[in-house]
Amino acid sequence: MSKSKTAAGAPKKSWSDTKSKIYKYRGFYLMFLPVLIFTILFHYLPMFGIGYAFTEYHGINKPEFVGLENFRKMFAAPGFWTAFWNTLKLSIVKLILNTGAAVLISLLLNEIKNTAFKKTTQTIIYLPHFMSWVVTASVFTLILSPSGEGLVNSLLVNLGVVQKGSEIYFMGSKKWWTPIFYIVNVWKDTGWGTIIFLATLSSISPELYEAATMDGAGRWNKMRYITLPALSNTIVTVLILNLAKVMNLFESVFVMQNDAVIKQSDVLQTYIYTQTFNSGALPNYGYTTAVGIVKSLVGCVLVLVCNHLSKKTRGRGIV
Amino acid sequence: MKKRIACMALAGLMTVSMFAGCGSDSKSSSGNSGTSAEGDVEKPDKIKVMYDGTVFTKENGQDQFKKRWEELTGIKLEITQPDHDAYYDVLGQTFASGPDNWPDVVLLDPTYYAGYAKEGALWDMSDAWENSDLKASGRINNEELIDNLYIDGKLYGFATGRGNGCATYVKQKWLDNCNLEVPTTYEEYINMLKTFKEGDPDGNGVDGDTYGVSTAGLIGEEIPYVNYLPEFYQDAYPSFYQKEDGTWVDGFTEDSMKEAIERIRDAYQAGYIDKESLTNGTNDCRNKFYEDKFGVFTYWAGTWATNLKTNLKANNRDDQLVAIPPIKETGKYLERRPPVFAITAACKNPEGVFKYFIENMLDGGDMQILWTYGVEGTHWSTKAETVCGNTYEEGQFHMLESMEKPGTQYTKNNIDPMLSIGDFKEKDPGADQIAPEAQDSQEMFNENSKLAPNFVSTDEMGQYNGDLTTLKNTIIANVVTQGSSIEDEYKRFKDEGGADWSKQIVDSLNKLNKESK
Repeated sequence: MSKSKTAAGAPKKSWSDTKSKIYKYRGFYLMFLPVLIFTILFHYLPMFGIGYAFTEYHGINKPEFVGLENFRKMFAAPGFWTAFWNTLKLSIVKLILNTGAAVLISLLLNEIKNTAFKKTTQTIIYLPHFMSWVVTASVFTLILSPSGEGLVNSLLVNLGVVQKGSEIYFMGSKKWWTPIFYIVNVWKDTGWGTIIFLATLSSISPELYEAATMDGAGRWNKMRYITLPALSNTIVTVLILNLAKVMNLFESVFVMQNDAVIKQSDVLQTYIYTQTFNSGALPNYGYTTAVGIVKSLVGCVLVLVCNHLSKKTRGRGIV
Repeated sequence: MKKRIACMALAGLMTVSMFAGCGSDSKSSSGNSGTSAEGDVEKPDKIKVMYDGTVFTKENGQDQFKKRWEELTGIKLEITQPDHDAYYDVLGQTFASGPDNWPDVVLLDPTYYAGYAKEGALWDMSDAWENSDLKASGRINNEELIDNLYIDGKLYGFATGRGNGCATYVKQKWLDNCNLEVPTTYEEYINMLKTFKEGDPDGNGVDGDTYGVSTAGLIGEEIPYVNYLPEFYQDAYPSFYQKEDGTWVDGFTEDSMKEAIERIRDAYQAGYIDKESLTNGTNDCRNKFYEDKFGVFTYWAGTWATNLKTNLKANNRDDQLVAIPPIKETGKYLERRPPVFAITAACKNPEGVFKYFIENMLDGGDMQILWTYGVEGTHWSTKAETVCGNTYEEGQFHMLESMEKPGTQYTKNNIDPMLSIGDFKEKDPGADQIAPEAQDSQEMFNENSKLAPNFVSTDEMGQYNGDLTTLKNTIIANVVTQGSSIEDEYKRFKDEGGADWSKQIVDSLNKLNKESK
């Protein structure tokens, strides 16, 4: 590709310049080629499968064109809208809490002067990220058990907050399920998020802090006027990138969900899962593709809106 | 220069790794063979089969199983065995990838059996079965099981054994400590649970630290749905079934279901049922049972009786269990419909595959031993030896130590010897090694059970049953655990469309029923 520059005296790039550049960096292009092929094969080519959303297809006989019937069924199903709003609510609140907690913990970790202690603490904090959700849910089910062995209930009974025999069934409570969900997510994923923010914090020039000290700034003002502004770019980038994944919420909900809290917990992915496996019929790939398209579109819109807001408020976005 | 070589080497490695998983022998199998055939049936060269973890896995000697199967038949066997939990996902993708990739034989549960048959993915094996040597042999002890597999007058799958079901086990020591007899009515059953909750049935000197019964979920996720709490559900059934006159109804809308939910609610609120039943998995229930948290457990009949007993003993608990017959109000335990082996419509030699794969499974001899007990020297033996602390004499048939779970012995392969519908030509070689408690619980169950309602799929079922099932389960959970009134919840059932969806499904089933007559 060549660009013509309008400024007088600027050299015009030619195709031969481009070719020689490609040849010069051919090693890197060669390394990049498999990734490109992979992305085209497994991420772009499958987009042609979008056509299935307009068919009824059980995977055996040829797809039968049904027009917008799958979308009509989806939007008419009462469970769909509950799942849709739950997905947005649970994901966005989770994202804000996780990001906020990650920033807070990063700031606290950054204040630790002892390197060995800092590294140990950081390692312990992000280890839960590597636990599978099945194990995490099992562990928290035990901790929150309404029986005498549940750690939290035992503590509440001993403190006199709850009477023995009236323990709280946190996982089976409509009132408590959502806060517990957020707590478990923060516990599991916050540590991982601190890695990015700590990297940003470590790149802030110490001279800024020295200058602030000379100007008489205390810890709080340093954080407010130096640390947080330096972090803001990273926070916005992380938020926007994670917004694209907001509609993919499944595993954490699926392992913690039960029949009593469906209204609070059902998200799009779990809704489609139960639709598929509880209907008694073979999966309709046309229907599930239609839901997938709606999911992707919503995720895309969220990213673009946030990017636009970022441009408006900060003068730049990431897309 | 070194950098460039390194870059190119890395690029090459990435390319190769990307395509490593691609490509497979997608040629259709079971082509005609030049080897001798019996009668008019061509013997296949190769048979491709896909099944789940109910047949010995790689960790448990699949290679030896395959080798022995090929020795006995002279046919190459190609096995695809996805992870057990992902089996139907992989099966669906395999079917969607086109007939060229379909295996010859697949294992299907009743729901998928009906669904794939309706789509035309399965071969009609009615004639093959009716004219088979196996049917004519007289060794089939339960032909009614096969008769129940017919769909619209055609047979698309073959079951080698009964589906089994759950029976209620009670700890004998707890009954003795509380001076109770085995309950025969609901009143006696509830009284037993009450005593287990309020008394000291485990004899540890503390009253009220135990409860009566635990369950994995208040309602099951698959047919027959009610198998873990049969004493409470009694004659109620939460899904669609046919009355004696052939009319389809939704059991959830009947009064019997409301009464069942109220019974569960009352027992739950009184603390007789484990508070965590809503979130329990079967593993959680079993662990609590082994820890003497509760005394009554409705679980799978047969070999599970031995497993429960063994684990109680391993946890230093009294291991005497009694498998009780269903109480009067329940009448019969529900037996699930069995999984079936089906031949896909893409199979080029279905008659040959039926004869040499399916029919052979119940040959009454070496092949049936292979499918029931596994491979000699790998899964079972007759040598004099000690296995997992059990000493066996020379010639005494016994199962060997599990390769996947050292310290435990294998119990069976795919065919449960207590559920098999095919008798051995001579004595079942493993009959004597079946534990008495397993034998007793299985016999009791077989004598006191009836088949769960059949499952039929319609378009309306596919469209509404997902939402309907979710709504039904939520209603049960709300009444039992959240204190909602049953009237309010059934009103919600109507207001949120449940009654309408139910009616549409029932109408579609009755219409199908009428058309098939």
